[in-house]
Amino acid sequence: MEEDEVIHGDFYLLAKSYFDCREYRRAAHVLRDQTGNKSVFLRCYALYLAGEKRKEEEMIELEGPLGKSDAVNRELVSLERELSSLCKNGMIDPFGLYLYGLVLKEKGNENLARKVLVESVNSYPWNWSAWSELQSLCTTVDILNGLNLSNHWMKEFFLASVYQELRMHNESLSKYENLQGTFTFSNYIQAQIAKARYSLREFEQVEVIFEDLLRNDPYRVEDMDTYSNVLYTKECFSALSYLAHRVIMTDKYRPESCCIIGNYYSLKGQHEKSVIYFRRALKLNKNYLSAWTLMGHEYVEMKNTPAAVDAYRRAVDINPRDYRAWYGLGQAYEMMGMPHYALHYFRKSVFFQPIDSRLWIAMAQCYESEQLHMLEEAIKCYKRAANCNDTEAIALHRLAKLHRELGYPEEAAFYYRKDLERMEAEEREGPNIVEALMFLATHYKAQKRFEEAEVYCTRLLDYTGPERETAKSLLRGMRMAQSSFPSMDVEHFHP
Amino acid sequence: MAGVLKAPGAFAITPHKVSVCVLVQIYASPSQISIPFPFSSVSQHNRLGLYLLALTKSCDDILEPKLEQLISQLREIGGLLDHWLTDHLTSRLSSLSSPDDLFNFFNDMRGVLGGPDSGVMEDDQVILDPNSNLGMFLRRCILAFNLLTFEGICHLLTNIGIYCKEAISSCSSYELRRLDDSGNDLESLSEYENMDLNLVFKKINEEMEARKRATERVSFHLHLPKELSTLVEDIEVFADPKSEHNDKGRESSSYSSSGDLLRDVDLNGGVFLRTNWQIQGYLMEQADAIEKDGSSFTLNAFELTLRQLQKLAPELHRVHFLRYLNSLYHDDYFSALENLHRYFDYSAGTEGFDFVPPAGCNSFGRYEIALLCLGMMHFHFGHPKQALEVLTEAVRVSQQHSNDTCLAYTLAAICNLLSEIGFSTTSGILGSPFSPMTSVGTSLSVQQQLFVLLKGSLKRAESLKLKQLVAANHLAMAKFNLTHVQRPLLSFGPKTSMKLRTCPVTVCKELRLGYHLISEFCCEGSTMTTDGAFSTAWLKNLQKPVGSLVLSQDNSSRDNSNPFLFCTQPSSIPGSVLQLVGSSYLHRATAWEIYGSAPLARVNALVYATCVADASSSSDAALVHVKLIQHLAVFKGYEEAFSALKIAEEKFLSVSKSRILILKLQLLHERALHRGHLKLAQQVCDELGVLASSVTAVDMELKIEASLRHARTLLAAKQFSQAAAVAHSLFCMCYKFNLQVESATVLLLLAEIHLKSGNAVVGLPHALASLSYCQSFNLDLLRASATLTLAELWLSLGSNHTKTALTLIHGAFPMILGHGGLELCARAYIAEAKCYLSDPSFSVSDNPEVVLDPLRQASDELHVLEYHELAAEGFYLMAIVFDKLGQLEKREEAAASFKNHIMALENPQDGEDPLSNA
Repeated sequence: MEEDEVIHGDFYLLAKSYFDCREYRRAAHVLRDQTGNKSVFLRCYALYLAGEKRKEEEMIELEGPLGKSDAVNRELVSLERELSSLCKNGMIDPFGLYLYGLVLKEKGNENLARKVLVESVNSYPWNWSAWSELQSLCTTVDILNGLNLSNHWMKEFFLASVYQELRMHNESLSKYENLQGTFTFSNYIQAQIAKARYSLREFEQVEVIFEDLLRNDPYRVEDMDTYSNVLYTKECFSALSYLAHRVIMTDKYRPESCCIIGNYYSLKGQHEKSVIYFRRALKLNKNYLSAWTLMGHEYVEMKNTPAAVDAYRRAVDINPRDYRAWYGLGQAYEMMGMPHYALHYFRKSVFFQPIDSRLWIAMAQCYESEQLHMLEEAIKCYKRAANCNDTEAIALHRLAKLHRELGYPEEAAFYYRKDLERMEAEEREGPNIVEALMFLATHYKAQKRFEEAEVYCTRLLDYTGPERETAKSLLRGMRMAQSSFPSMDVEHFHP
Repeated sequence: MAGVLKAPGAFAITPHKVSVCVLVQIYASPSQISIPFPFSSVSQHNRLGLYLLALTKSCDDILEPKLEQLISQLREIGGLLDHWLTDHLTSRLSSLSSPDDLFNFFNDMRGVLGGPDSGVMEDDQVILDPNSNLGMFLRRCILAFNLLTFEGICHLLTNIGIYCKEAISSCSSYELRRLDDSGNDLESLSEYENMDLNLVFKKINEEMEARKRATERVSFHLHLPKELSTLVEDIEVFADPKSEHNDKGRESSSYSSSGDLLRDVDLNGGVFLRTNWQIQGYLMEQADAIEKDGSSFTLNAFELTLRQLQKLAPELHRVHFLRYLNSLYHDDYFSALENLHRYFDYSAGTEGFDFVPPAGCNSFGRYEIALLCLGMMHFHFGHPKQALEVLTEAVRVSQQHSNDTCLAYTLAAICNLLSEIGFSTTSGILGSPFSPMTSVGTSLSVQQQLFVLLKGSLKRAESLKLKQLVAANHLAMAKFNLTHVQRPLLSFGPKTSMKLRTCPVTVCKELRLGYHLISEFCCEGSTMTTDGAFSTAWLKNLQKPVGSLVLSQDNSSRDNSNPFLFCTQPSSIPGSVLQLVGSSYLHRATAWEIYGSAPLARVNALVYATCVADASSSSDAALVHVKLIQHLAVFKGYEEAFSALKIAEEKFLSVSKSRILILKLQLLHERALHRGHLKLAQQVCDELGVLASSVTAVDMELKIEASLRHARTLLAAKQFSQAAAVAHSLFCMCYKFNLQVESATVLLLLAEIHLKSGNAVVGLPHALASLSYCQSFNLDLLRASATLTLAELWLSLGSNHTKTALTLIHGAFPMILGHGGLELCARAYIAEAKCYLSDPSFSVSDNPEVVLDPLRQASDELHVLEYHELAAEGFYLMAIVFDKLGQLEKREEAAASFKNHIMALENPQDGEDPLSNA
């Protein structure tokens, strides 16, 4: 008996060595008569990988003039047959279940795949591959809630990751932060927190986290594309170039590396080169969502709108919830002078990300365009934008202006005042302040609310330019009016 | 762009082509005798040769036959040889077991071809001329093989294996179906898997033969696959090179059922994925088919096919367009919108072999076409305002990109929109981009703007030589002229003599101008390609005159001409042209209907139904049937109409049910009114009202008809004030939307309501107004009927007006008798008789026939119509006359008939329920 196990163990070890050398079929052949759970799993997994490898090769060989051909993993059928019979007889271990779930997923039988994978992770929770397969099958919250998962700390990792995928960033962040309490030194958790915060647009903190991460894990390439995006938005040229240099020394042929270089060139304004690197990233991973979107941005910069549209469209076809690509599509069409057509895309984008003021502003500008001139709708959009923390403070100013143009002075005054308050709070300067002051001064004067009008006029006197003269004459006029109708004042004072 | 389509697929070598090569080798084996080995006679040899020619010609079709089909065809052709041929073929195929075998096979093929000096060969030697059809085919195969990579050869080998295996399994499944001993066959099937292929084929063939003999079923010819029959025809006519086109058209249409492609794709995967051109040809055909008859496609089945296709060819974006069309014609707004956007995002409107890159600067993509399509989509779904907005943008963008062709089509679409859908005002919608055309400003009414746009669009189309668009514009113009009085656009300036009438001559002229199209297409003959259905026309080559397209493509290589074989249709006139010509006939029929010439309307409808029904879209065909059946109902009574309706219902079973349904409701309503089934009438009328506001859009025409019928029902129920109220609001609506022809009808109805309610004085102005409308729109029949109502009104004012009434009736008689329906004639007769009877100077006894004759005529006609109320009146008058004449027997007879009709009118439930039988 013991000798048997030794012999079997030898077979297994030989097969494992072959497997590690990526000689999958050879490994499977060695294990052909073995019945132990480990051997069965290794044999089936080797066969599966062999099929995958052949599939990838055939994809290239059979690539017809119309694009991809339908190369399939030819091992799936026999694997499914074998694994299902094993599963029926209860002679399958959690790893076998994982493989069975994988095969079922490839075959398109998602419900059963989910069931099998749940079974696998419940009996052996430390298999992250099984969790991530399960995650790819959880496309909605309802599906996620329908899963019957037993409690384990791995489940927390899983949930955090699923929440991130489902764009429930706050939930995800809190889960990760909880986990960080237990796993204090985990680079993974740190990176995930950075990604979640990036989605919440907290760039400063993200940068800090990534710097820390890179100190602990200097050869990391994973997730560094997010870091490069942060550096890009913050326009840190040298930091970005340093990062690019570092990743290229680590691993040149990683989609993330190419993406980082693309970002660098884009920041430098060399859009052609940037496109080359994004293309390379996409060659390495055809479904690399952000590369498609970023490439779209580059094409927009290069004024090659049809190519941009194509790139964005590929992004939204990979993930229809990618609001940035929808936004890009809208922008591209707006650039081509088709605002009505662009609206469709802006609508999609605000549908998926209703809290981003930039999207609402873009849509409002589309409505405002001279071709459409649908100002009422534009006002509605600006209102939404003003409600979601409009950092660039465009919405309030536009709202005030539009109301003035449409002849609603009360509303216009309201928004000018708000805009003014905001600009004061942020200590901004610029023509907008003058405009707001000017309007408010004349508005209150017309309303005969001279005190307020005077306040605004005096503030206008601080600025140079023609407004100052106007303010002066306004003040003079008001004083004249006040002095010429003293009786009214008297009435006011002695009611 | 990221997803640029690769060069059109070249000639790919497939297992089927290998089979054909094997056969060619048999046909032209390099031997020294005049009739090579297996053949016993020259004719036998020639037959195989002709068959091979047909095969090579059909090699670029969308589908390739399976081995099983090939074998059964060979059986037909080979006669005595069939065993030998199939055995040889299958053994040769199954002997190809390693890549080297394939190398050797194609080397042998080279031997079949004669050298370049083949001119000096001996007479009786069979050697293939490299420049002959078969020779070219072989050369192409050899070349394609030589271009294959080693991996490609491996795949070919696997595919040949599948190709052979499939034949076995399909053979046995075929047998399974025929004989019910499935147990045995399953066994033998598993046996087959373990056997050498070569043996298997022999065995199967033997088995099949044995079983065939044993079962002695129907002769094999009945099981003949369709492909074979077309091939055989091909052999017979192939001497005429032009007919090749025709056959291609037919063959490809026989493949058009979507299931075929699906099966093909399913079983064979990427193996039999056709070349780019072939798939595009297929898609184009499907697009035409959908547009012609959308409801014959099932949404999901076709969607499944398209998905499959998309999976196989993700860079072929035309699939998205087909998905758009599919969801459009199945009223799936969201999916249609999504797919439309997706298609244009990917293709920029520049995909397809029909796209010729513009010579100039326009590398921009042609998104204006996307706007045009989006506008059409909104129009289809009944969002006229959005449609107009989008089309306005399309106008602007095409002006910006100076795409005149697209502009012309967009303008035509806008005209169509304006004329189809009632806009009470366009102010604020048709804005600045139209200023070059409507320079007069926006103070014009909708109709005037439409007229200006129509003129502009026509001029544009003419200058761009877009013949179909010109024809369509002429038709639209005719329609406009038919229903609108032309007024000068400017109210100032020298006063021209204003003739406020429509002009039938102009209508006729416009219709004839549209008709020129067909003669032009006939002249150009074979150089034309089809444009498909009219509405896909804009997706095709808009930049160039259509004719030159073929020539430019033909020059490049032989391959490229293939798609055009696919789209050529059996007749030399493209389907879209036929459709246009057909709609010109429809317009004529409608015009004559409005002008009141029943025979001419009928003739035109008949011409349409007989000549262009095949090419027409199903909804147009249904419309013609509706017209013909309505004609029957008016002139022959309901019985005939309903029997015709039954036929039409069967013919348009699922297709455009709504039109036929509406007709059915109309007929039911009329019959119910005549028979006095007022409840039923009201019920039917309500159903019509529901149909009027369907999911897609409010159908103005139908809405007006529904409320017109509602008013009529109320009138029949003697609820005059309500009827008048409904009719009045209806008139207001017609006035608002400028529907003047309908206004005439409504005014006449109002006059009738007042006549029946005894308010003749109020009725008179309405009748006169209706008359003047009829006059200015040349509505002769309606005018006659208005005159009749006017006469009745005068008559009811007292006996001193009988002369006036009689003159009016006599004036209208020629028109009524010539073109009027049964009801109108009967009414006229009765009115005439009443005039005579109420005339104090008229004595019945002097001249009884003057009264009796019309009354008899009227009662006959009313009997057919089952119009009880009027019939009762007729018999009542008859009884009075007979009473005066002292003919008591006849008087009793008439009185009895009177009683019968009154009884029938009062007990409407007696008759069978028309809803159940119709």
